[in-house]
Amino acid sequence: MSEELYKEMAQSIIDGDSDISTELAKKSIELNMHPLDSITKGFVIGVNYIGDQFGKGEAFLPELVMAGEAMKAAVAVLEPELIKLGGAREMMGRVVLATVEGDIHEIGKTLVGTMLSASGFEVVDLGVDQPADKIIGKALEINADLIGMSALLTTTMVRQREVIEELDKEGLRPRIKVMVGGAPITRDWVTKIKADGYSEDAIGAVKIAKELVGKADQ
Amino acid sequence: MEKLKFLSDDDVKRIHNATLRILNEVGYVWTHKQSLEILTGAGCKVKGNRVYFPPELVEDSIQKAGKRTAIRGRGGVTKTLGDGNLYFHNLGGARDIYDAKTGGHRIAELQDVRDSTRLLDALENCNTITPFFTPQDVPGELMSLAMYRHALPFTTKPLQGPGVQYGPETKFAVQMAEVIGNPKEVLTLALSPVSPLTIPDHEAEAVIEIARAGVAFGALPCPTAGATGPMTISGSIAQQNAETLAVVILAQLVNPGLPIIYCGRLAMMEPRLGSSVWGGVELALASAGTIQIGHHYGFPVNVYGFSTNAHVLDAQDGFERGLNAAIPALAGADELSGIGEMEAGVMGSYAQMVLDNELADSIQRLRRGFSADEDALGVDVIAAIMDGSRNFLGQKHTMKYLKAGEVQLTKLAERNSWETWERKGKQGMVERAVDEAERILREHQVEPLEPQQEKELDTIMAAAEKELVKKR
Ligand code: B12
Repeated sequence: MSEELYKEMAQSIIDGDSDISTELAKKSIELNMHPLDSITKGFVIGVNYIGDQFGKGEAFLPELVMAGEAMKAAVAVLEPELIKLGGAREMMGRVVLATVEGDIHEIGKTLVGTMLSASGFEVVDLGVDQPADKIIGKALEINADLIGMSALLTTTMVRQREVIEELDKEGLRPRIKVMVGGAPITRDWVTKIKADGYSEDAIGAVKIAKELVGKADQ
Repeated sequence: MEKLKFLSDDDVKRIHNATLRILNEVGYVWTHKQSLEILTGAGCKVKGNRVYFPPELVEDSIQKAGKRTAIRGRGGVTKTLGDGNLYFHNLGGARDIYDAKTGGHRIAELQDVRDSTRLLDALENCNTITPFFTPQDVPGELMSLAMYRHALPFTTKPLQGPGVQYGPETKFAVQMAEVIGNPKEVLTLALSPVSPLTIPDHEAEAVIEIARAGVAFGALPCPTAGATGPMTISGSIAQQNAETLAVVILAQLVNPGLPIIYCGRLAMMEPRLGSSVWGGVELALASAGTIQIGHHYGFPVNVYGFSTNAHVLDAQDGFERGLNAAIPALAGADELSGIGEMEAGVMGSYAQMVLDNELADSIQRLRRGFSADEDALGVDVIAAIMDGSRNFLGQKHTMKYLKAGEVQLTKLAERNSWETWERKGKQGMVERAVDEAERILREHQVEPLEPQQEKELDTIMAAAEKELVKKR
């Protein structure tokens, strides 16, 4: 019985259908299924599947985004139950995400945010054109494990370094790890500015983020 | 020549009406105080962070706007967009440079801005030049201005300004133009509002500055259909139109009659990656549609022409840019952009510039079409040769039309037999283009600026540095 339901859960995510994923989440509660099982044996399977397909070039980005939304909707139903049971879904980590100061390119960063939240990270997306003190301030406020910075211009890449230098000056690393990305970012640059990680795309970003919080195997 | 049309008159009207609804009912994210005062003074409503434009104001601004934009080079040549001709210019703002000889790429620097300008100066089909590369070796705050400053000495052709984003940046660009002439005559400026339907404060400030200076203006929204615009070409054309018209309205309120270049940079999202597709033929469709809308209002229209997603000068590169240039040209584009472009605008190369120069010849040939009048039909000539040589080689008619350009001649494209081609060293078109680019860069000299002018430009850059570069 629950095997069937898990399958439907995964499918609702693959179909990117928030209505159905919400329904199924409610149903699982009525059936006294453990919310954590619903997430890990049901919904997450769907996210992983779509993520894999996207990575192989066989799923479309909008499918990925809609899967993320459907996942969020299901988790929103299950989370309060989980808390009632005294547990919490093990959160992968807290991330502050932003496009750096002077840069208003948004699409890539938002994509990374969607994938991170779909994969169990708690993401605070500050938006675009964010100065170092805002990014660091937010990271301290929410006790973030990770800062993710996007830069699409060769002229704004340097801002990534500024944030890292500032963090170092305040002695906040390695407590807060930094990952960077954006079209002009290369491995050389990452080494040069001593960032902790980087990825060329949103799927890779999840992998790196997991590594950086020490949960590469999840 | 009949213009190629993808939209019926009804379609055009529907897109116009959709645009009016977007501007009036959806609104535009706009928070810049000074410009909001101007807009509300003209009847716009503000709610939260959005501004709503009454349809009459939209129509009125379109009406008022200047429909012909002329730009003069320091060499004296003037190019007027909207005179019925097709003009070409290059891609502006490429980050990387591709080395066709080695197959490698690297981040561009100031010297590349100078060299690319000098090369484009020599290419006859590049009618105006836009500073090509974004140099890495200057502080970010000065990048746009440095592009303009270091392009100025290396061409006498009309030189468009760099894309600007800030009020002060605009001010300095106008000052630099003054060194070579009246900015209203020797400069045009472009600015990209953010899709969907957003203008940052500093950009609104820049629009006011451009309009006050009386410099011909092109709004360059770059929606990506599926990501920052609706997935449909028509929906994104309507949104792009709204984005353009909103800034045109502000510009017209500040300076009624300011000449406008109607630009389209609509690209599709690659759904498997999220990136922009500049090579797909949908770009040509979107550009053709954009041209119809712009022409409906009477504006001269500038869209992408030579564009590709390719990283090398290969078959993909050739067919993508060929299609993307031909279709908008046939749809009646006033100006096509993209000479030298590669990798969806991220990269450029000298060999590509030379190749596009030749491709532009073919595009112009395509636009010219062919005559079918009595003389061209040549029935008398047919009759004459049938009684004589039975071929057309010795006919005056033949030479007359050859001289008039009935057959477009090529310099780089191969038309010889295998044997001849082999004997001449088996070069492909790309290798010839590499050689030609090298030759031009070795030989082509540009009339320098007066020492006094150089000094003035340096003074302006120094002032800009003082005002714009943050102390770190
Ligand atoms: C769309 C676009 C815009 C739009 C942005 C709209 C928006 N809401 O985001 C607008 C029109 C506003 C714009 C403006 C400008 N742009 Co622009 N823009 C682009 C364009 C066409 C696409 C960028 C994009 O969205 N890519 C798709 C996304 C999915 O890819 P991505 O961002 O790289 O993200 C992926 C990875 O990099 C990675 N990633 C991204 N972030 C992060 C973060 C982390 C932590 C990690 C791990 C990974 C990661 O994962 C993502 C998903 O796979 C590019 C050209 C191109 N073909 O790429 C030019 C481009 C980037 N722009 C350019 C320029 C010059 C500008 C302007 C300066 C132009 C001007 N003069 O007005 C302004 C600058 C504005 C500013 N201050 O930022 C140049 C940059 C050149 C350079 N030297 O760097 C480019 C290359 C094109 C060009 N030749 O003009 N632009």
